[in-house]
Amino acid sequence: MDWYIFVYPVILLAIVLVFVMYAIYFERKVIGWIQLRKGPTETGPKGLFQSAADVFKLLIKEDIIPSKADRPLFKLAPILAYVPAFSVLAVIPFTDAPYLKFSNVAVGLMYYLALSSITVMGVLLGGWASNNKYSLLGGMRAGAQMISYEIPLVLSVVGVVMSAGSLNLTEIVETQIAGAWNVFPQFLGFVVFIIAAIAELNRTPFDLPEAESELVAGYHTEYTGFRFAFFMLAEYTYVFAMASLITILFFGGWDAPFGLTFIPPLVWFILKFCCFVFLLFWLRATFPRLRGDQLMEFAWKGLLPLAIINIFVSALLKEVPFLSQYF
Amino acid sequence: MLGLFKGMGITLKNMTKPKVTLGYPHEPIKMPDRFRGIQHFDPEKCIVCNQCARICPTNCISLTGKKHPDPNKRGKIINTYDINFEICILCDLCTEVCPTEAIIMTNRYELATYSREALLKDMKWLHANDQMIRQDNISSKPKRGGK
Amino acid sequence: MLRTEEMVLNLGPQHPSMHGVLRLVVKIDGEIIREIEPVVGYLHRGTEKLAEDLNYTQIIPYTDRLDYLSSMTNNYVVCHATETLMGLEIPEKAEYLRVIVMEMNRVASHLLWLGTFLLDVGALTPFLYCFRDREQILSMFNELCGARLTYNYMRVGGVKWDAPAGWLDKVKNFADYMINEIQNYHELISGNEIFLQRTKGIGVITKEMALSYSLSGANIRCTGIDWDLRKKQPYSVYDRFDFKVPLGKTGDLLDKYHCRMDEMVEAMKIVKQAVEGFPEGGATMGKVPRVLRVPEGEVYVGVESPRGELGCHIVSKGKDKPWRIKFRRPSFYNLQVAKELLVGQNIANLVAILGSIDIVLGEVDG
Ligand code: SF4
Ligand code: SF4
Repeated sequence: MDWYIFVYPVILLAIVLVFVMYAIYFERKVIGWIQLRKGPTETGPKGLFQSAADVFKLLIKEDIIPSKADRPLFKLAPILAYVPAFSVLAVIPFTDAPYLKFSNVAVGLMYYLALSSITVMGVLLGGWASNNKYSLLGGMRAGAQMISYEIPLVLSVVGVVMSAGSLNLTEIVETQIAGAWNVFPQFLGFVVFIIAAIAELNRTPFDLPEAESELVAGYHTEYTGFRFAFFMLAEYTYVFAMASLITILFFGGWDAPFGLTFIPPLVWFILKFCCFVFLLFWLRATFPRLRGDQLMEFAWKGLLPLAIINIFVSALLKEVPFLSQYF
Repeated sequence: MLGLFKGMGITLKNMTKPKVTLGYPHEPIKMPDRFRGIQHFDPEKCIVCNQCARICPTNCISLTGKKHPDPNKRGKIINTYDINFEICILCDLCTEVCPTEAIIMTNRYELATYSREALLKDMKWLHANDQMIRQDNISSKPKRGGK
Repeated sequence: MLRTEEMVLNLGPQHPSMHGVLRLVVKIDGEIIREIEPVVGYLHRGTEKLAEDLNYTQIIPYTDRLDYLSSMTNNYVVCHATETLMGLEIPEKAEYLRVIVMEMNRVASHLLWLGTFLLDVGALTPFLYCFRDREQILSMFNELCGARLTYNYMRVGGVKWDAPAGWLDKVKNFADYMINEIQNYHELISGNEIFLQRTKGIGVITKEMALSYSLSGANIRCTGIDWDLRKKQPYSVYDRFDFKVPLGKTGDLLDKYHCRMDEMVEAMKIVKQAVEGFPEGGATMGKVPRVLRVPEGEVYVGVESPRGELGCHIVSKGKDKPWRIKFRRPSFYNLQVAKELLVGQNIANLVAILGSIDIVLGEVDG
């Protein structure tokens, strides 16, 4: 047992917290710019401390539990939502340097997908335990949505796994460095994955569980203070995790394109990562929200067949002589 | 699918456009001259005709007059003049009927206070409120009989 | 079949998409609405009763607060009713100014509707773009009459202010800008597949429903019934302008959306024509007695407000105050159809349909 096994997760947690704070800041700024506003400007220079102030406010707020709520479950829900969100980060390789890999699990991708589906239970519990009708509806929507979209999400990466021949995330990146980035050969898989990922993240246009104009705040309507902060944290930690995963699965992780190797791999990773995060904000600023039944239809009748087609096509093309180097 | 991307193009284009929001508390907003803000009151001009109190749709003006101190002059002078800004809707009717422009609009719009009492403005306060007085008042009198 | 229980959900009066303080008591089965009962009256201020105690000039600022998104039309309807009863003649200049501000107000009101409707279906950004454009109209009104929302601009017999120097040019530039800008809105919204999914075939109003509920405004025009008071019972100087009445076909949300979008373009065209034909000289107030005593009698006038037929019925007993005044408030009538439209829909559609009816609670509750 080395000492850094205990220190690194703490550092990672700190990094994630800083990321979450600045992701929120960045989101507000980007959406502000798109909407011809300035975004936060007041707290600190250019409003840089706005999120820190918000988090601080949430932490010192009174912790209210509705009197008719199911207390143990109400308290458990945010924990159940956050813990998996953070634990999935353990398998993400940020660069090729060994000190930035926490654990090189052979079935890393599997671990990620399996753990991340636990979060839905936290959300569902939160909605149930609040004893609020809006929360309940939000929780139910979240449950239905996250479970439905898990299936195309998992199936869409099968193509990637087949081409890499491994579930280990580091190896997936290494095969891409050797061959081509997966976006190109696996384009269909990528499209399915990115749509399912946005739905998994509960973000616009799939933000039904928190649909403000319908359900007030969805499953966390009754949550305040640090418990609410945990739900938000879980949400943005998943943005962090999902952006990393997309970078790794489809954009060659830390691989430098066009031979621009003088830029360090970690920077490349962060750049690709930021593009995805920006895309999320951009979508949020542009799109309206789907309706529940349309959402389900889209998952089962649209994405699922596409994901399956993608698997077959990848399997077929793997046998074609010239193309097989990419698959 | 095309519609989705078109929309994304529009939002991206707007991202770099100049911002339209104002830095309000830091930079005061300049209102146009005709703006109807908190009234300025000039006791010298008032002839205590009571028209403003009568036209006020919310009955928020209360005034009393007293006899002119100079015994040679007829008429009254104003004694107290209060406007209750809890209910004043800044509708401009009082300034419109006042024959002497004793009560007149200013461009001041900040009325937020911590107590209801502070919204009861008396004659002294209204008189001291003499900044940014509306210039374009003459035309505010409805033109009777086609000019 | 599993026996499920219905749940009673109280939407509003505090709810992000109730557009004010409407309360809907809905009984839902899962997310499907089985029963719905709108509860109105949370914003009732008794304008009609208050007006019985006010003289005619004093009523005008009260009407500002009925439909606070289009105060100009409210101002107009009460002035128009009084003038009709008194048989007053209004100077041409005043009529032109009235038409300009009413049509600009229509655009401002539709812009706000567009923004909030899209907010209801989940799009955040168009709301801000709509406000950017609406803001320009409001600041022009601010220059004209000194207020951004509660204008109190019209008087019995004319209007209070003449246009300030350079104002008409600004209005004209804005009209050009806006006609152009509507294209951007179309590009951002009209082609968006998600938006189409959310609006096409949803909340269909049939012609029979529209007539039996006495709907007006875009709510009746989206069904294809050509009913616009500006054409059918021309008031003011509307008969001098050339404009079209946009009609829908199916009566769904998408048609309503297109009706309102096209109405904005038409309104801007009217504004442009009015600015071009604007009379140079002349007064802004007609010959009006010092104290407004309205001869004994009754009058009903209807005008086309952004929300539909806004009517004013005055009964006068010859005093300086009305004996009874009654407003036909289009939002109130249009809201009645909600009950029939919403049963069987799900919560997401409820919000969209309610948003599309375009109610202003100040007007619903009077
Ligand atoms: S502005 Fe209107 S409400 Fe205010 S004091 Fe004058 S008349 Fe009364
Ligand atoms: S109308 Fe003018 S002059 Fe008459 S009482 Fe009021 S302020 Fe004085």
